Amino acid sequence: MKPARFDYVRAESIAHAVEALAGAGGDGKVLAGGQSLMPMMNFRLVKPSVLVDINRIPDLDRITLEAGTLRLGALVRHRMTAEDVLVARHIPVLHAAMKHVAHLTVRNRGTFCGSVCHADPAAEMPMMTLLLDGTIHIASPRGTRTMPARDFLIGSLATALEPDEMVTAVDLAIPADGTGWAFEEFSRRHGDYALAAVAVLMERRDGRARNVRIAMMGIADTALRLSDVEAALEGREGTAEAFDEVVARLKASLAPNSDLNASADYRRHLAGALARRALADAWDRAREAHMEPA
Amino acid sequence: MEDRATITLTVNGLTQTRAVDARLLLSDFLRHDLGLTGTHVGCEHGVCGACTILLDGRSARSCLTLAIQADGATIETVEGLGRMGDLGRVQQAFRDHHGLQCGFCTPGFLMTITDMLRHHPLETDDQIREALSGNICRCTGYQHIVDAVRELARARGPLT
Amino acid sequence: MTAFDASVEMRPKLVGQRIKRTEDPRLLTGSGRYVDDMNPQGVLHVALLRSDQPHARIRSIDVGEAFAVPGVVAIFDAGDIAGDFKPAIPTSRMKGYYATPFRPLAEGKVRYVGEPVVAVVAESRYAAEDALELISIDYEPLPVAVSKDEAAVDGAPLLHEEAGTNVIISRTFARGDVDAVIAAAPVVVKGRFRMTRKTPMPMETRSYLAEWDRRRQALTLHSSTNIPGIICDVLGTCLDLPGNRIRVVAPDVGGSFGGKGSLNHEEMLVCVLARKLERPVKFVADRMEDLTAMSQAFDETIEAELAVDADGHLLGLKADVIGDIGAYSIYPWTGALEPVQVVSFLPGPYRMEHYRGRVRGVLTPKPPTGPYRGVGRPSSTFAMERLMDMAARKLGMDPAEIRRRNLVTAEEFPYRTGSGIIWDRSAFQECLQGVCDLVDYPALVRQRDAARAEGRWVGIGFASYAELTGIGSRIAVAPGMPINTGTETASIRIDATGAVTAAFGISSHGQGLETTLAQVVADELGCRMEDIEIQHGDSALVPMGTGTYASRSAVLGGGAATKTARVVKTKVLKAAAFLMDVPAEDLEAEGGVIRARSSNATMTFREVAHAVYAQMGRIPHEQREDLVGSESYDPYLGTACASTHLAMVEIDPATFAVTVTRFAVAEDCGRIINPLIVDGQVHGAVAQGIGAALLEEVVHDDGGQLLTASLADYLVPIASTMPQIEILHVEAELPNNIGGFRGMGEGGTIGAPAAIANAVSDALAPLGIEVDTLPVAPDRLFRLVQAARASASG
Repeated sequence: MKPARFDYVRAESIAHAVEALAGAGGDGKVLAGGQSLMPMMNFRLVKPSVLVDINRIPDLDRITLEAGTLRLGALVRHRMTAEDVLVARHIPVLHAAMKHVAHLTVRNRGTFCGSVCHADPAAEMPMMTLLLDGTIHIASPRGTRTMPARDFLIGSLATALEPDEMVTAVDLAIPADGTGWAFEEFSRRHGDYALAAVAVLMERRDGRARNVRIAMMGIADTALRLSDVEAALEGREGTAEAFDEVVARLKASLAPNSDLNASADYRRHLAGALARRALADAWDRAREAHMEPA
Repeated sequence: MEDRATITLTVNGLTQTRAVDARLLLSDFLRHDLGLTGTHVGCEHGVCGACTILLDGRSARSCLTLAIQADGATIETVEGLGRMGDLGRVQQAFRDHHGLQCGFCTPGFLMTITDMLRHHPLETDDQIREALSGNICRCTGYQHIVDAVRELARARGPLT
Repeated sequence: MTAFDASVEMRPKLVGQRIKRTEDPRLLTGSGRYVDDMNPQGVLHVALLRSDQPHARIRSIDVGEAFAVPGVVAIFDAGDIAGDFKPAIPTSRMKGYYATPFRPLAEGKVRYVGEPVVAVVAESRYAAEDALELISIDYEPLPVAVSKDEAAVDGAPLLHEEAGTNVIISRTFARGDVDAVIAAAPVVVKGRFRMTRKTPMPMETRSYLAEWDRRRQALTLHSSTNIPGIICDVLGTCLDLPGNRIRVVAPDVGGSFGGKGSLNHEEMLVCVLARKLERPVKFVADRMEDLTAMSQAFDETIEAELAVDADGHLLGLKADVIGDIGAYSIYPWTGALEPVQVVSFLPGPYRMEHYRGRVRGVLTPKPPTGPYRGVGRPSSTFAMERLMDMAARKLGMDPAEIRRRNLVTAEEFPYRTGSGIIWDRSAFQECLQGVCDLVDYPALVRQRDAARAEGRWVGIGFASYAELTGIGSRIAVAPGMPINTGTETASIRIDATGAVTAAFGISSHGQGLETTLAQVVADELGCRMEDIEIQHGDSALVPMGTGTYASRSAVLGGGAATKTARVVKTKVLKAAAFLMDVPAEDLEAEGGVIRARSSNATMTFREVAHAVYAQMGRIPHEQREDLVGSESYDPYLGTACASTHLAMVEIDPATFAVTVTRFAVAEDCGRIINPLIVDGQVHGAVAQGIGAALLEEVVHDDGGQLLTASLADYLVPIASTMPQIEILHVEAELPNNIGGFRGMGEGGTIGAPAAIANAVSDALAPLGIEVDTLPVAPDRLFRLVQAARASASG
C-alpha cells in the first residue's frame, strides 16, 4: 500500500494552487489534512498526477465571524473547530457534532473544508454544512465564485468542483438567537463513520416550531436536507404526536442502501430513532432559549 | 513541480537533510531513511495508530503524511521519549502498569498519550478511553494502558 | 529429590511476583527489532499480484511493461520457480483426509481471492507496486461453491480435483445412545449456532526476510512466525536443505493470536527467491493483504440438541458441525484443527454420559482457516453455553444453578467426556462460585430485574468452560498430525563471566516469556534474574523446537527450564563444593551467591564460573565439568484449565448497540508465575472475545469477494469498546506437572463470546430471543427483534 508517483507542488498562495491544478490536466488533487485523501492514495484508489499541498498557504487556518456567518478557512483543522469559542457560542450544534468526528490524532490534521470536498456520505462536515445553509467559496484561475452547499454536494464522494478549482472557505449561517438544536449520531465504535446521524435546528415562536432545519447522513449517497419533513413540522406544536408523525413521514421518505454494517430496514429504523430523539431535544432547547410563557 | 526534493527537518532534536521522492510516506522515511524503526506501520490507512508521531507538537499519522510535507517541521518519535535505563514518564508508566505486550502498537500509543497529556482533559476513564480510541492494541484489552494514563493524568493535574 | 534441591515449591522467590517485564525497556524505546526493521545491504522487496477470482484457471500472464519500471529486478510466476522447491504437504493420520499441497504461488489455477499469483521483486516496495499495476492475468473463471453448505453437496465444483470431494475431513465422536436419551428426555433444547469468520489481526503484519549465504550455501529466514522450529523443518524439506544450513529466526514479533502460527505462501516464496537471486528478499504484508489472506478462524455451523432431566441434569448432547476450512488444509495443523476441536470440546466442563458429535471440514474458495486463540473452543463453548441457558430458561432455573448441578466436581476427576477428553483436577465448581461472589450475583440479578421493570434491556450471561493446555506427547495438538508438539527443550549455560544464557524452542510474541522463564530459572538456579538472558524464537537454539502456541510455553518451557536449571545447579554446587572445600549438601544458592550453611563462606556464581572455565588446573581435570545442561520436558498428558466468565450488558432499543457494563472472570491457571502478565493475558483475550461477540466479522460476498479488506470495515475493539475487566484467580490443587503451571493465554477468547451471547439473550428474554449467531451486530439484533415482534403479533 504505497501511493503511485505524482508531481508535488507546495502552493505558496491560492493563485499558485489553482494554477498548479489547472496545469494537472484534470487529475490534480488538493492536499490539506490528508486524512481521507492519503488512505485512498495509499490504496491506489486515487492516483493524482499532481498533488497540490496547500498547507503552507497563509491565513487559511482562520475561523472568522462575518455578518451572520462563521467563515471557516480551508486549513481549519477539526481540532480547531472543536475548540473554537466562536463555534461553541454561535453554532452549538456544530460544537456538539465535533465530538463525533474521528479521533484525536485525525482531528489534529483533518480539515473542515477538506471533509466537505471529500463528500463522504457518512461524514459530519458535509451534513453540518447543509444544515447550516453553508456557502462554499471556490477559487480557480478563472476567478472566484460561491455556491450553496446543497448544489455543491452532488453524490457519494462527488462535488460540483471543477478540476482547476479549490475550496478556500465555507461560510456557515449562524442560527438565530435561541434556536433549539440537537445532534444525534450512531456508529459501531466511537469515532467510526456514522451508520446514521441527524442534526436539527428549530426556533420556537408562539409555542410553534419555526424555521425547522433537519439534515441527515448515512442514509443516502450524500448527506441530505429533509425539506419535506421540515415543512411537515413547520408551524406545529412540538408535541410527541407531532414528532411521531413527522418521524413516520421521514422514515417513509427514506430509501437507504444496505451495506456491510446495516440493512436498509435497520438504517431506516435507526434514522427514525435518532431523529425522534433529536426533534424532542431541539424543541426542548428552543423552549429554554426563548423562555416563552407556557 | 517535482517528484523528488531535498527536505530538512528536525527529528528528536537533530536536524536532518535528505533527498526524498515526493510520494515517500513519512513513516517509511523515518523507518528506512533515518533508521528510526521505533515508529511502526500497522495499516497505512490511518486507522490503527501504530505510526503516530508528533508533528510540530501534535500527534499525527505518519502513514498519512508525506515526508516532503515535513520539510521544515519538528518531528518527535518514540526514540525521543527516553532511553533504556532512562525511560520517559509515559514509557515508565507503561512499564509499571504492564501497558504493553507485543510492543508493536506501543510507540503509537506513547506518542498519542504524550499529546493527550499536553493538551486534553483526562479527568475520567471515559475521557481517557475516548482519547485512546484512535489507537488499536490487540494484546492488552486496553485496561493496563488506561491504568497507566490515569496515573499520568493524576500526576499532571488538571489542564489549565 | 535430594536435600540441596531447593525447588520452586519449597522456596518461591520470583515465581508468583508481579515482576516488571524484561522485554519492556527495548520495546518502549523503539529499540525492539521486528522483521521489517531489518534492512540488510542489497535487500529486495516483494509485492504480489493476488487473485481477484475465487476459482479460476490461469490462462496466461502478461507482464506488459512491468520490467521497464525503474527498480524492478525480477518477476516470477509459478512456472518460473517450479523446480526450486517441493510443495508442503499437511499430512495427517485421519481417515479419508486429503492433504492439499501448498505452494508459494498459485499453479494452474487460483482457489481464493487473495491467493498470490505473480511476485514482483524490486529495489523498493513502491517500485514493486508500480509494476503490479502493469501486469494482467487472463483467467478462465471456474464454477464456485462459496458457502460451505453448497460446497459440501455431491456434485459441487471441486477446488482440488485430486481429492474427489470438497469434504476432506469427516469424523464422529460418540459415547452411549444419545438418540434414545433425547427421545425420552423431559426437556430438550436445540439450536443452529454459528460463529462467523474471523481474522486474528495481530498489529504487526506478516513479515519475512530471507538471506542466502553464498559461502555456506545456507539460508536464514527472519520471520514474524510463532513456530520457527516447525517452519524451519518444513522449509528444509521443501528446499532440500539439511537442518544445519537452514535457520528460522523470529525476532520481536508483533502478536500472532494464531495468525502467524502456520506456514504461509509468502514465507516459502522469499526463501525460494533469496536462493535463486542470491540476494536478501523481503516481503512485508500490508494490512489489506493480511485481512485478505492471513489464515482465518471459526466459520462453523453447529446444529446441536441437548437433553436434560427435570432437575436440570444433563443427559445427552448430539451435534452436527460443518466447518468452512477455506481453500487449503493449512500446514502443519490441517483444516481439521478448528472444526474437529469444536466437536472434541462441545460437551464442555460438564458431567454427561451420552454424546455424539459429527464434524465435516469443507474446502471453499476462501483463505484457509488456521489456529486462532482458543481454537474451536470459542465456537463449542458458544453453542454449549447457549444450550445450557436455553435449558435453564425452559426449566425456570437460574443459569448459575444449572451449571452448578452439572460441572464436574472435585471428586470426579479425572473425568472422561463423551468425546474422550480427560479433565484432570481443576477448579470447575470453584470458578463458578468465585465469579458469583466476585460480582455479588444476587445483587446483580436484582439490578437487572429493576432495570427490566423500567423496560430496559439489561441481561446477565455466564460461560463456563474448560480447556486443555500444556499438552504433552500423548495428544496431538491437531488431530492425526505427525509433528511432535509434546516436548520442549531448554539449554542453559553459565559462561566464564557468570552470565546465564537459557535457550528454548518456544517463541514469545507478546506473552512476556523472557520474563516468566527468567523468573523460573532464577528461582531454580539461585542466580540473579538480571544475570539471565532468555533466548527463544530461533530454530538454531535447541536441537528440536516448535514454537509457542496452544498455551504450552509456560507449562512445557517452564518444565524444561526447571529440569535443566536443576542439572546446571548441581554442577555449579559441585564445583563450588570443591572450591570451598565443603560438601555440596552444605551449599545453597540465592541471588547469585553460593553460601555454605555451616561456615557462612560464600562464592558468587561469577567466581565459581571463572574458576571452572578460566583458571587452568584450579579444579582437577577429572572433576571439571562445563556449567551447562540441556533437558527436555514432556508433560505427556495435558493440563485442564477451567474458568467461568460473567457478562452484564445493556442494549439500546433505539440503536440496538450492545454495551458491556460488567465483565468478570474467575479462572484457574494453577501456580501463577507472574500475576501482572496473567492479568494482561486475560484482558487481551477477553477483548478479542468481546470483539468476536460484538464486532469482528470477515465477510465474503456470494461471489467470494472479500468485503472487509480494511480496518474501517473489519472492526476490532478499541479502548472505548471495553469495560473494566474484573479477575479472580482461583488456585485449585496444582496440576501434576513440574512447577504446577497451567496454560492460560487463550481462555478469554473462549468464554467471552458465549457469556455475551447469553447476556444479550437474557436481556431480550422478554421477547423470547435466543442469540444463535455471533457477532450480535446492531443490524443482526434489530432483525431478531423485528422477527420476534412479528411472530408475537402474528
